[in-house]
Amino acid sequence: MIGDITYIIEEYWPLLLEGLKNTLIITAVSYAIGVALGLALALIRVYGPRPAAAAVTAYVEAIRGTPMLVQLFIIYYSLPAFGIVLDPLTAAIAAIGLNSGAYQAEYFRGAISAIPRGQWEAALSIGLRKWQAVRHVIIPQTWRVALPAMTNELIYLLKYSSIAYFVTVPELVFMGKYIGSKTYMYIQVYTIIAMIYVALALIASEGMARLEKKLSIPGISVTTPRQ
Amino acid sequence: MGEVLRVENLWKSYGRHEVLRGITFSINEGETKVIIGPSGTGKSTLLRCINLLVRPDKGKIFLDGEEITRPGVDEASVRARIGFVFQHFNLFLHLTALENVMLGLTKVRGLPREEAERIAKEALLSVGISEDLWRKYPAQLSGGQKQRVAIARAIAMNPRLILFDEPTSALDPELIGEVLKVMEKLAREGMTMLVVTHEIGFAMKVADEVMFMDEGRIVERGPPEEVILRPKHERTRRFLSRIWELYDLGVQR
Ligand SMILES: Nc1ncnc2c1ncn2[C@@H]1O[C@H](COP(=O)(O)OP(=O)(O)OP(=O)(O)O)[C@@H](O)[C@H]1O
Ligand SMILES: [Mg+2]
Repeated sequence: MIGDITYIIEEYWPLLLEGLKNTLIITAVSYAIGVALGLALALIRVYGPRPAAAAVTAYVEAIRGTPMLVQLFIIYYSLPAFGIVLDPLTAAIAAIGLNSGAYQAEYFRGAISAIPRGQWEAALSIGLRKWQAVRHVIIPQTWRVALPAMTNELIYLLKYSSIAYFVTVPELVFMGKYIGSKTYMYIQVYTIIAMIYVALALIASEGMARLEKKLSIPGISVTTPRQ
Repeated sequence: MGEVLRVENLWKSYGRHEVLRGITFSINEGETKVIIGPSGTGKSTLLRCINLLVRPDKGKIFLDGEEITRPGVDEASVRARIGFVFQHFNLFLHLTALENVMLGLTKVRGLPREEAERIAKEALLSVGISEDLWRKYPAQLSGGQKQRVAIARAIAMNPRLILFDEPTSALDPELIGEVLKVMEKLAREGMTMLVVTHEIGFAMKVADEVMFMDEGRIVERGPPEEVILRPKHERTRRFLSRIWELYDLGVQR
């Protein structure tokens, strides 16, 4: 077994590396989209005009109510009918990013509602405009409260990035399948892939833990992430 | 002595509950007025109306002769001229004591950092918050220290008027004194203040006028010796006798 694994790594490391690179790109870019979109959606839902807030609610429910794979297929296979053609990698990033945005909107909304109402009133009372109160008082506290949930989300996305396989993006799982079909050593190949995912997840949570520590401020409470 | 604040026939209802029923009074420059009254009579609502956090249904409020209740008023710039000290401090939790005081100076007044820092430090020193506490976060301060930082945050903006909403009600008894002392000093230095409090000792010493509010109205008003020691109205008397009981208990302890 160990011999097979070293053989596969020696023989196929360029493919594994290419797969790793694509997995990292999908995860990082869709996570960034998810954070930005999630924060924007949460702010609209909490502070925006009612119709906009309702639209955000509808979006979040629609995303949470359908499988991510279906969302990916809609983007990859159905959008071309409307003249929007995306290459596999872009389609995967868009699908995962849009999906993550909906979930993160909920994390951020939870974090914002955990901020005591007096913070908002104090911000207005010193003469800050509403957008300034959001920018200088609400958002800095939102990050800190939402960080544990954001860590979970990053690790989810790392694993969900593998659905890109279904639209032929050569990421880790795709490469695993390919190498398996060449060598007939499926178990060994997937063992390697699994170990890579575990390593990445450990690095991600360690990095986020450091960030959390760096940003931590006494007295700002942290919500438990949703499972 | 110019008039800083005038409140004219202010009404406010929540649903069918009339919380303010025709409040009228004014405050001149350098005066301190104290509002006392039972819970739920609209004292906080009145202060929140003055600070434009709540819109009154009827009536007008003037700050330095300018009507601030008129439609289209720039609320933020009005609030920047009125300090507000809350019962529960409401210091910005993610900022240090110094940063709490600086935020309004840099973001509202647009001052450069160094100047904001200089003014903020001066304000903190004036409320007895010394250098070793400047870099502490609110959670690392005692209640009395938090409230004094909150007062520094208000005075650093150089407001025309400071509103205090029961500034010592959330404090442990042994910390009340340090906050009242700061407020007394402010009043002596000529700050214009409107204070909701049950600290009748403070009112006796500092107030130019005491107003007793009940069920949305100012029932009785006058110099503190009159209202507190010789109240005319039955309701004022009943309320004060309860306050005296608590006060005596506090003194004996
Ligand atoms: N946003 C609101 N919606 C509905 N009712 C409210 C609201 N704010 C205040 N009230 C009601 O208005 C009444 C007056 O409240 P207010 O806080 O002004 O009283 P108060 O005199 O400050 O009392 P306390 O001494 O307890 O602070 C209360 O009955 C309260 O329940
Ligand atoms: Mg009140």
